[in-house]
Amino acid sequence: MTRLFAIFLFTTGIASAGAVEYLRDIKPVLKERCYACHGALKQKAGLRVDSAANLRKGSRDGDVLALGQAVEGKLLARLLSPDLDERMPPEGAPLKAAEIAAIREWIAVGAPVPSNETAEADPREHWAFQVPRRASLPGKAANPVDDLIESRLAKRGLKGQPPAERTILIRRLYLDLLGLPPNREQLRDERPWELIVDELLASPHYGERWARHWMDIWRYSDWYGLGDEVRDSQKQLWRWRDWIVSSLNENKGYDQMIREMLAADEIAPTDLSAIAATGFLARSYFKFNRTTWLDNTVEHTSKAFMGLTMNCAKCHDHKYDPIDHLDYYKFRAIFEPYQVRVDVMPGELDLMKNGISRVYDGNPDAVTYLHERGDESKADKDQKISAGPPAFFRSGWESPQEVALPLEAWRPDMRNFAQQGYLAQERAKVSEAENQLEKLKQTKAAQDKRQTPPSEIVVGESVFVDDFSKLRPKLWETTGDDWRFQDGAYSIIEPSLDKAFLRSKIKHPRDFELSLSFQTTGGKKWKSAGIRFDVDESGENSHFVYTSVGGGKVHLAHTVDGKDHYTQAVAKRPIKLNQKYTLNLKIRDTLINVALDGEFLFSFNLPRREPGLVQLLAYDAVVDFYEIEVRHLPSQVVLQKASDNPTESTVTVEAIELADAKLKHAKAEYAFARARIDADNATYRNKGNGSAETAGRRQLEAKLAQARVDLFDTKKSANAQMTIKKLEEDLEEGRFPGYEPLPLSKVSLVKTPNKDALPVEGGYPKSSTGRRTALANWLTHRDHPLTARVAVNHIWLRHFGVPLVETVSDFGLRAPKPLHHDLLDHLAVEFMESGWDMKQLHRLLLTSKTWQRSSSNLAAYKRSLAADPGNHHYWRMNSRRMEAQVVRDSLLYLGGTLDSTMGGPSVTPSPGERRRSLYFFHSRDGRSKFLSTFDDADVFACYRRGESVVPQQALAMMNSQTATASAKQIASVFDADLSAEEFVRAAFFKILARQPADSELAECLSYLKKQPKREHFIHALINLNDFMMIR
Amino acid sequence: MKLDHQFELSRRTLLGSALGFGALALNGIMAAEEPALPDGKPHFTPKAKRVIWLFMRGGVSHMESFDPKPALNKFAGKSIGETPYESVLDASKIRKLRIPIKGDANGHTRTKIFPMQTGFGKNGQSGIELSDWFPHIRSCADDIAFIRSMWTSDNNHGAQVQFHSGRHFLDPRVPTIGAWINYGLGSLSDNLPQFINIGPRFFDKKDAHYLGPAYDAVNLKIDPKNPLDYAKPDNSILAVDQRKNLELINRLNGLAAERYPLDPIIEARMKSYELAFRMQTAVPEALDFTQESGETKKLYGLDQQETKAFGQQLLAARRLSERGVRFIQIMHGDGAAGAWDNHSGLKNGHARLSRQVDQPTAALLKDLKRRGLLEDTIVVFATEFGRTPGSQGADGRDHHSFGFSVWMAGGGIRGGVVNGATDELGYHAVEDPHYVTDVHATINHLMGINPHKLEVPGHKRLEMDFGHVIREIIA
Repeated sequence: MTRLFAIFLFTTGIASAGAVEYLRDIKPVLKERCYACHGALKQKAGLRVDSAANLRKGSRDGDVLALGQAVEGKLLARLLSPDLDERMPPEGAPLKAAEIAAIREWIAVGAPVPSNETAEADPREHWAFQVPRRASLPGKAANPVDDLIESRLAKRGLKGQPPAERTILIRRLYLDLLGLPPNREQLRDERPWELIVDELLASPHYGERWARHWMDIWRYSDWYGLGDEVRDSQKQLWRWRDWIVSSLNENKGYDQMIREMLAADEIAPTDLSAIAATGFLARSYFKFNRTTWLDNTVEHTSKAFMGLTMNCAKCHDHKYDPIDHLDYYKFRAIFEPYQVRVDVMPGELDLMKNGISRVYDGNPDAVTYLHERGDESKADKDQKISAGPPAFFRSGWESPQEVALPLEAWRPDMRNFAQQGYLAQERAKVSEAENQLEKLKQTKAAQDKRQTPPSEIVVGESVFVDDFSKLRPKLWETTGDDWRFQDGAYSIIEPSLDKAFLRSKIKHPRDFELSLSFQTTGGKKWKSAGIRFDVDESGENSHFVYTSVGGGKVHLAHTVDGKDHYTQAVAKRPIKLNQKYTLNLKIRDTLINVALDGEFLFSFNLPRREPGLVQLLAYDAVVDFYEIEVRHLPSQVVLQKASDNPTESTVTVEAIELADAKLKHAKAEYAFARARIDADNATYRNKGNGSAETAGRRQLEAKLAQARVDLFDTKKSANAQMTIKKLEEDLEEGRFPGYEPLPLSKVSLVKTPNKDALPVEGGYPKSSTGRRTALANWLTHRDHPLTARVAVNHIWLRHFGVPLVETVSDFGLRAPKPLHHDLLDHLAVEFMESGWDMKQLHRLLLTSKTWQRSSSNLAAYKRSLAADPGNHHYWRMNSRRMEAQVVRDSLLYLGGTLDSTMGGPSVTPSPGERRRSLYFFHSRDGRSKFLSTFDDADVFACYRRGESVVPQQALAMMNSQTATASAKQIASVFDADLSAEEFVRAAFFKILARQPADSELAECLSYLKKQPKREHFIHALINLNDFMMIR
Repeated sequence: MKLDHQFELSRRTLLGSALGFGALALNGIMAAEEPALPDGKPHFTPKAKRVIWLFMRGGVSHMESFDPKPALNKFAGKSIGETPYESVLDASKIRKLRIPIKGDANGHTRTKIFPMQTGFGKNGQSGIELSDWFPHIRSCADDIAFIRSMWTSDNNHGAQVQFHSGRHFLDPRVPTIGAWINYGLGSLSDNLPQFINIGPRFFDKKDAHYLGPAYDAVNLKIDPKNPLDYAKPDNSILAVDQRKNLELINRLNGLAAERYPLDPIIEARMKSYELAFRMQTAVPEALDFTQESGETKKLYGLDQQETKAFGQQLLAARRLSERGVRFIQIMHGDGAAGAWDNHSGLKNGHARLSRQVDQPTAALLKDLKRRGLLEDTIVVFATEFGRTPGSQGADGRDHHSFGFSVWMAGGGIRGGVVNGATDELGYHAVEDPHYVTDVHATINHLMGINPHKLEVPGHKRLEMDFGHVIREIIA
């Protein structure tokens, strides 16, 4: 019955196209669904289904087809099984009814074996898995590129195009190597080609241009996070970018670059310039999930350096390549111990501003387990997986050797510059405190002459107090959705322009005192936080006092009918992010006194007043609010009178005492710094006579001095008194705590550091597993079949517009042997044997005839056009569109306004910015809009840029400030006295590197008659396809 | 210049695909051995031509919108363990979540039952019960298919990305449904982008990823003066000067074809400039409501402060649909997490937010219907997850990913039906549960797309990425 039905299907369906054809109807299905487990790679149950002959051989248990038998064989039984544990294929949907019917029919007619059918090729034979060998060169051309390309052209009866026009060629070279167009003199350079190539390769702009290419492949991304919290990548990652630029300019070997990126902390543990290279691994940092972090590391390390899609083996064996599930976790185990930390750098010691994000084996004992189906919650804890490459590629792998690290690697704070820098910093704090005290004393002396009344500390009756431990809806009306309770504060977590606020439901009295504690943790520009009072029901009228991080001030202002008016009552002073401040207002009638952290700032007469509500204010800021107190202002409290100059503050005796305490504290901290450096040097370097005891004593003394400063802070004073008592006892009895190392390295800049990476007592681990060194050595081994090929292919792509191997990040079995396989291999060998010399490879390609051909089809040999319209044989050059960065850099450069400063922290993209685009901040949420329009690199992964042609690009070139301002600037470079024709010729030459044809000239002259404004003409020229393209 | 059909163009040169023209015009010259771009034609006869995708950011409470649960009122204040429905907390019933932010204050099990914060009732012939916060949408119930059995696997707001792409926030970024539709289908307009986003985004501001930026949404603002990046000259370049420049650009580009014959990029570039010029006019025109009647403006709530913002976006959506935009994605709810994220003050929050969207959304359905557009326009109303049946704090609900509601209407969708159900507490999707990609599959099906045919080599899609068509709601 079933069989009849199947035949019916067969005759009506597939048979319409002829009888069931195994090769057409069955083999492709088996290939797609079954070969992964029953082919050349693996033969589960001893069964191969990759050829009819193999099918007829059956499995380990015998025949599976049951030819000529009444009962269906095992093959069909398993395909049709209703039991999901039995049914094949085990993953995905079952085979379709028509597919099964075809198989059944093929069996019914005796499973005929097609002649000449080949089984699946052995993956060991895959072209990309063979050690590359030099090609046997025909020897007809000096350059091996030409030799191989020409001979293939000749074989196919094709003829190549002549070289491009000299100026076009020079432009091509400059854009290719420097990413900047040549100027008029350079366009007229008549020196030998090789000389020009060498000169450009020696230019520092070469490193900048090619760094951007490698930043694509190695997925450079600046950090991303909320506020100061790093969620993705790392701060200071620009040091890795600068390392790429300088490594290229120095022509460091590509092998050495790989070694430094993967393992500089092991092979050059004290060389910070090399360690910057580990930014490659630091970039994969992901706050929320270690597996995601390592998945990215595994996937992109293998794609970038080997063109292997290791990621396909995360959940199961690779479907195509000889990488099994276990291999994935063996590869992960190489990285399992690595963590990221931020170390001190010379100069500024603040890690947020000047640290280096680098990797190290922070957790050498971390164990890797296989995750069943890639599910991290299903780790198979029975088997600890050791580090290694995929078994198939094991050749050249040497077991990791543990690396003992020098002191300065595991105690970065003990680097000489760190110790000296720290002492200098503490010394500077002492001088600053001295100056401060001196200044106050002088002001006080001058002020005493003028005589001001003393003020008493009296606290009035409370109106309301809120410590923001929970929402008090009776007290507050909340506006905005971005309020959160976190870390003991009520926080506004997204900056808004005063659109989110808390407004009290209770009015404050006419005369009152208000204290507000808060800290600002983020925001875009102003980062202002503070308090409104006298807020009326509409919210349209109030006074407000706020601190501004961006403005560096405390300021008083009024809002009248919804409009803000700023007063001259402003105290200029730095306001820091992430520092808690207490703002205090005392208001009596129209007089207001404002103090910050107990320091009187200014007094002012408010123009008019109506007691109202209070309202927390956050303008363009992320703010944590800790506490607010509103009290009546007792009559005995004396307020400072408003002076003509409200910002001239009044110095109290207390202020002088405070400054004195601060000076003592600074001195104590300096002494402690000195002592702990001495103690460290004695302990770890056996140098000097410092001791842990002295350092402990100095640390106690510094804490004591700090507590004495805290006495002046009303909030802290009670605690401080207790601390002082305890510390004095400790000092007396000689109870010194173990001293802490200098705070010059952190495992993370976030609030909740990664516990796996915390330093142990006495520093970071004193050795590294050596796994990443082993990985780097294996990758750069002469016999590694992939590393050099993949790199050469990337470089070729960026010179020729198309790669030799189309799938630049997948050289596995799905990548067919490329047409120019011999050339790729030859170049790979040359590359390795030259010491992985990239400049040498560039030179080889750029001096070839092949690279210098015209990119036009004009007057092409007919057969070349007809037989190879896709130019797979390189009978002409390919035109390419300039990458996003080259478009913008060229525009600025042509106008003479490109800032050629190299290196340093990433700059915020803006139309007015003049630095090269390479230095633009480039992260998930912070990217240049202009560059994005032109297929800028995807920050997650970009092995190859797109070259789209979309209307948004036309809009950007017509309307963006980058384009319009550049057009104006470029136009200004031309002599205004040039005749129209001279101008057109000069503009064509400068912008397009060629002369206009007569027809073009006529078109331009007629335009200039209608449109005499030359900047408009220039604007048109930079919009031309010939400008956008590298011809 | 005439293109010779034997000339190839790299697949990477996704010509003008934001407007779709390139995919059509140049497909013929794609290299045979390279995977071809889709030809822009549906794979089978479509029932719908376009999608208006409304997404409520933050997580709309399903119990207070489209899936009322009287049991919550009955057991208010009790713990789930004290109700007959204790078993909803059985470990076996809890779908596996992947938690991106461990130790976050949100995304926890909340067991103290929080009563519905609003009443509910029915309208229309279908008699589907909906909450009182959506009276206007309720009046359109006979045109809507409600899906009350959605689930997702991220209990934090990365689920916004998941609802659009089908992949968890911890997975690599993959194209969203809008990008796939843009990629798979040709253009309906010569003047407008095919995929438009209006409103705030946070977790992922890109859509197309490996399909290439040409398939990303173009962001529009409801501002006829400045609706689109670079839509207006940065300085005071006059339109007449720009027109002159455009003429010169296209003539010189055309002349360059003499130097570079048979170069398809030249024509693509020329077209892109003409289209860009037309877009400069067409986009502001689409967002200019002066031609709309007072009645229409009132219908969308443009006369009221609360409904104005969303009403303008939806009126723009209707105008963009009429003018041939394929996929219009509208995001509602400011802030990082999204405004609907009412961990506290749910009553005030949801009441206010639903007032913002209810009338405009119903207006969109009615307006599309009376203009004959609803029959080939799919309207989706979705959110990343629901909210917990239990309370968070005194008066909020936490994130809830095991069961929540979305709805679809229009092109090819059957109106007045409910598909799937949650249990009595609204805890689990128990009947016909749907993962988020089932919505994508349904859209693909109605748009005539077989997503398997769009797969890009090197970017294997998983079974879950495709989802299953929700047959029950297809007309």
